[in-house]
Amino acid sequence: MTDRETGPVPRSRTARWWPAGAAAGVTAVLAGLPWALRDRLPDRPATHWSGGGTPDGSLPLWAACLLPAGVWLLTVLATSVRPRRSAPAARSWRVMTLAPTGAVLVGAQVSVVRANLDHTDWHQARQPVLGVVLIGALAAVAAVAAWRFAPRPVAVPAAAPTLEVPEGERLVWFSRTANPWLLLLAAVAGLVAVVALVALAVGLADPAALWPVCAGAGVVALAGAMCSSVQAKVSEAGLEVSFGPLGWPVRRWSPAAIETARAERRLPSQVGGWGYRISGLGTTVMLRAGDCLVIRPRGRRADFAVSVDDAERGAALLNTLRTRLPTD
Amino acid sequence: MLLRLDTSDTRPLHEQVAAAIRRAIAEGECRAGDRLPSARDLSAALDINVNTVLRGLRELRDEGLLEFRRGRGITVAEGASRRSGLQIRVRELVTEASRLGYSRTDVIDMIRGLT
Repeated sequence: MTDRETGPVPRSRTARWWPAGAAAGVTAVLAGLPWALRDRLPDRPATHWSGGGTPDGSLPLWAACLLPAGVWLLTVLATSVRPRRSAPAARSWRVMTLAPTGAVLVGAQVSVVRANLDHTDWHQARQPVLGVVLIGALAAVAAVAAWRFAPRPVAVPAAAPTLEVPEGERLVWFSRTANPWLLLLAAVAGLVAVVALVALAVGLADPAALWPVCAGAGVVALAGAMCSSVQAKVSEAGLEVSFGPLGWPVRRWSPAAIETARAERRLPSQVGGWGYRISGLGTTVMLRAGDCLVIRPRGRRADFAVSVDDAERGAALLNTLRTRLPTD
Repeated sequence: MLLRLDTSDTRPLHEQVAAAIRRAIAEGECRAGDRLPSARDLSAALDINVNTVLRGLRELRDEGLLEFRRGRGITVAEGASRRSGLQIRVRELVTEASRLGYSRTDVIDMIRGLT
């Protein structure tokens, strides 16, 4: 049943309609399955099981039909709002969210119906642990299939921007972005970590409770500080992106290691938030919405992007350096 | 910001660095209050010794184009874009005058003599 959702690669003719069709199909299965079998189900099917497989919660039949369908429709709605106003590049992210969600909901609904089938009282419905494992596996398969088959954003535009560099002139490009909010977050988390450490040293509180707090706050502080500012530099040595106030860690690409560079507008909602993000669009160092310098490393399928001002010229210079390479 | 360095330029390197940044400021590549890349970064990108870069940056500070601040790095000074444009033209004037055989004092006298 989930084939509808995770299934075939869209053909060009049906490409427009298959997402809507799949969404409607999943809705129909979620709401229609218990209703179609209502004669063989108890009035209140069991919908929740405790660890041992014994039921500990139930819903009226109409709610058991409509609740999963409602959750599904809300998810569809939430993922449909954004792509309308942003780049089509976010498509695969959308499929990546919807496919596992649909798989889990349909799998759960099928197992709920199966457990309740031919029982008159919901207390008799048993849910084997295997079913839960199967649903998990189904979701994983759906996610992998979506990752594999989802239409990928057209990543390499035909005309990459270039910059005219007069003979005998050496050009370097610098750009820097800072996000004061991430710095504030890092400072607060660092403070929490230090306070927790002092409390531990003095013996104010239970070490078992305080150690995780201290470690967690420390990690947040470090990650926040690392992503609070980013510097990008394009020179004859290629692209260098360094993080944080100390300029460490650093990622470098030589001009030969870059297939193409371009500038693109990206939003935190497209890449899954702020900071160092890995999503359907590749890796994005997202500090603020807007201009991003995007490169496609040679021999890779995923892009690397960093949100810096004036990305257009940085990309242009990088492309020029790349094309000049053989003559140098 | 984009920095341009002429590889055929025969001037001392610190002057070239200063000229490149002066030009970038005049052309609006970086505005007042913007932070400049660190001397270490500039040195690595331009492939010029870090002390030479620092010497160029100090010249620009003395011209009132840059401000060195502890903890905040090097920033572009207020009103630097107008000033750097004028600086570039004054330098061109002095160079042209010396090519024609006039000393700086001669140029200053000429400016004083303007009515």
